Amino acid sequence: MSLPNEKPDLEESINVTEAHGVAVRDAAACAREKRIVDNGIAPISLWALVACGVVLLIAGGILGDAGHWFSYGTLFRENYVRTPAGGAEDTGPLPKEALAAYMAKGSKIYSAKCNGCHGSDGKGNGSTFPSLAGTPWPNGETERFAMIILNGLQGPVHDGITYGVMPPQGIGMTPEDLAGIMTYVRSSFGNTKGDVITLDMAKAAIEISAARKNAGNSVTAEELSADHLKDLPGEKLDPKTLLDPITLAPAKAP
Amino acid sequence: MSSAISTTTEQDALLRAGIDRSLRHPVMFFLTSGAAWLAVSIVLGIISSAKAHAPGFLSCCSWLTYGRVFPAHINAFIYGWGFQAAFAVIIWMMARLSRKECTAAGLILVAGHVWNLGVFLGLVGILSGSSTGMPWMEFPAFAWPVLLASYFAIVIWSFIQFRVRPEGHVYISQWYLLAAIVWFPWIFITANTLLHCLPGHPVMAAGINAWYKSALTFLFFTPVALGTAYYLAPKITGQPVYSYSLAKLGFWSLAVIAPWAGMQKLAGAPIPYFLPYVGAAATVMLFVPTISAAINLLRTAISSPEILASSPSLRFTLAGIGGLILLACSAVVLNLPDSTLPLTQFSLSGYGFEILALYGFFSFVMFGAVYFIVPRVTRREWLSRRLIKIHFLFSVYGIMAVALFAIFGGFEQGIGQEDWQQPWQNAASRAYPYAVGTTIAWCFILFSNIFFFIHLALMWLRLGRRSQHPTLFDAAHGHASSPHGEEGDIDNAGPGYISAH
Repeated sequence: MSLPNEKPDLEESINVTEAHGVAVRDAAACAREKRIVDNGIAPISLWALVACGVVLLIAGGILGDAGHWFSYGTLFRENYVRTPAGGAEDTGPLPKEALAAYMAKGSKIYSAKCNGCHGSDGKGNGSTFPSLAGTPWPNGETERFAMIILNGLQGPVHDGITYGVMPPQGIGMTPEDLAGIMTYVRSSFGNTKGDVITLDMAKAAIEISAARKNAGNSVTAEELSADHLKDLPGEKLDPKTLLDPITLAPAKAP
Repeated sequence: MSSAISTTTEQDALLRAGIDRSLRHPVMFFLTSGAAWLAVSIVLGIISSAKAHAPGFLSCCSWLTYGRVFPAHINAFIYGWGFQAAFAVIIWMMARLSRKECTAAGLILVAGHVWNLGVFLGLVGILSGSSTGMPWMEFPAFAWPVLLASYFAIVIWSFIQFRVRPEGHVYISQWYLLAAIVWFPWIFITANTLLHCLPGHPVMAAGINAWYKSALTFLFFTPVALGTAYYLAPKITGQPVYSYSLAKLGFWSLAVIAPWAGMQKLAGAPIPYFLPYVGAAATVMLFVPTISAAINLLRTAISSPEILASSPSLRFTLAGIGGLILLACSAVVLNLPDSTLPLTQFSLSGYGFEILALYGFFSFVMFGAVYFIVPRVTRREWLSRRLIKIHFLFSVYGIMAVALFAIFGGFEQGIGQEDWQQPWQNAASRAYPYAVGTTIAWCFILFSNIFFFIHLALMWLRLGRRSQHPTLFDAAHGHASSPHGEEGDIDNAGPGYISAH
């Protein structure tokens, strides 16, 4: 007797056409498949164990650095978040031209304090809030402008129209804020003064405001024309001077 | 006696043929539409990779900007190709291993169309600018319930087949497939509910997102590919799986380690710092499950060198195992928090690692499965071994180039990024040559996949060869004159005799 699969068409007990017909015609690919044999039992080789062991040691080292496990209190590993590289100083932010630096400060204060009434375009609304764009008081003498901001305004404005009462804005205002706003308004909304109201000028303005005869009340057009129709004292600053954008102190060129 | 043996073998063959017939339409639908999405994804990949070194390329309209094309590329790859290839393999292999015909082919087919519609609308959403901005989850929020529902409608039948299987041994592939079937809904529901429905702190959301990417790779694509490789290698060679203990070690270490991995992407971010470190350690430890499976499959496959030389399925599977070994090593090398992690965290390396996992490992094993499954479900043989050869060579060289360029280019880029006193331009110019290389390599892969898609589409149309002879690489099995053997020649050697491919 021959081996089962050696010469099946010579084996008389099998009708080749019938027995293989279906499989060969319809399922040739399935018929030639091999069976999946039982699983091998080779042991895990030594070098595989050693390689896995080395990797586990590395992983253990990483876990050892993982701080207190399941501690939600610590956010950074000491020294993981970068400190300045050795030998290099933290030089801080890059210097900016004076006008840009003051205007950047001023635009923030403007959106916090002035935006609500005078609008983001500085044009007011024509009935209760006057325009800052192109009008003489913001663009005129700086002391008059500073007094209005610090103390508020009642009565008519330059064109004789009474819009409403402007509340004082000076409470808690630093020289930096005042200088920023004034510089910003004088060079925005189409205003083109382009000058910088320095910190010194703003300090002087706050002192002048505190020394007013009727300190605590809003200014009026009469008082402004009488006492404050001049520029603030202080040295003028070239708008192109390079300043530190945070402290507004003069900076060296990079 | 010989007649009894012959009858059992033949009954087996007929049972297998019945199972294949019951699954023909869903399997071919998933494979063909998957291959089409793969081609789409590669085209998008070429565009986005080109933008990394030539920012002006196709900058004309907003829907071709990098921020949309890159997510479209990776999502088309994952949800268009990766999942559909996995579906085809899961439903076919689980039916075969549980020896049950599929009774819900129509429903699976409908759910498959819904899945494709979800992917299509999701991609339109990304390209029209409604991406969510979460890596691998960029589809607008409407997409995920659609995908989840169709996922259940597709794989629940495989789960049932496993439950009602004939008594007996549960084969290694079934462990992996069953695990993947159960793990995917867990990670998908967790990530999507935590990010879309119950949004918490945005930094932690980035952490969850990084975990999702890692979990999807190692808890879905990896087990599906390993299950497939554990089926193909012993099936084609006819040799037993090399070591059962190694298989168990590989499976359980994957199950225990992989869920912890992923958050190393956020090292240095303001989340509790044990999280990234545990993630890094777990990713390093993934070496254990991946290398165990790789050794086991490699030893099984190389036990019969002559079949290895001739079988396209085994060749692709083995290339995938090669990718797995590279993946195991790069998991260790890329994730050391004190040296390499800062360099790879925000650079091309992460992309290289993902492509190595999704293409160099997963997709190659899937191609191996495609070359094995399609002749069985269509009952036609592959048309041309030359087309298969083109697909193999261009894919292997292409993907190795993409992965290595991206990983090493990422190191260079990372070194440039770490030197923070230099302008950012430095990091970009360090990565430049590698980015150019990546684009060229993707072009090779596109070339190979166009041939793959055409070949597969012809098989889908039942235009394959009607023959009993498998399409093999070498002509050393007796038909040296013709690559296909003599057409119409009836193979009388009987079932289970000539080499199976």
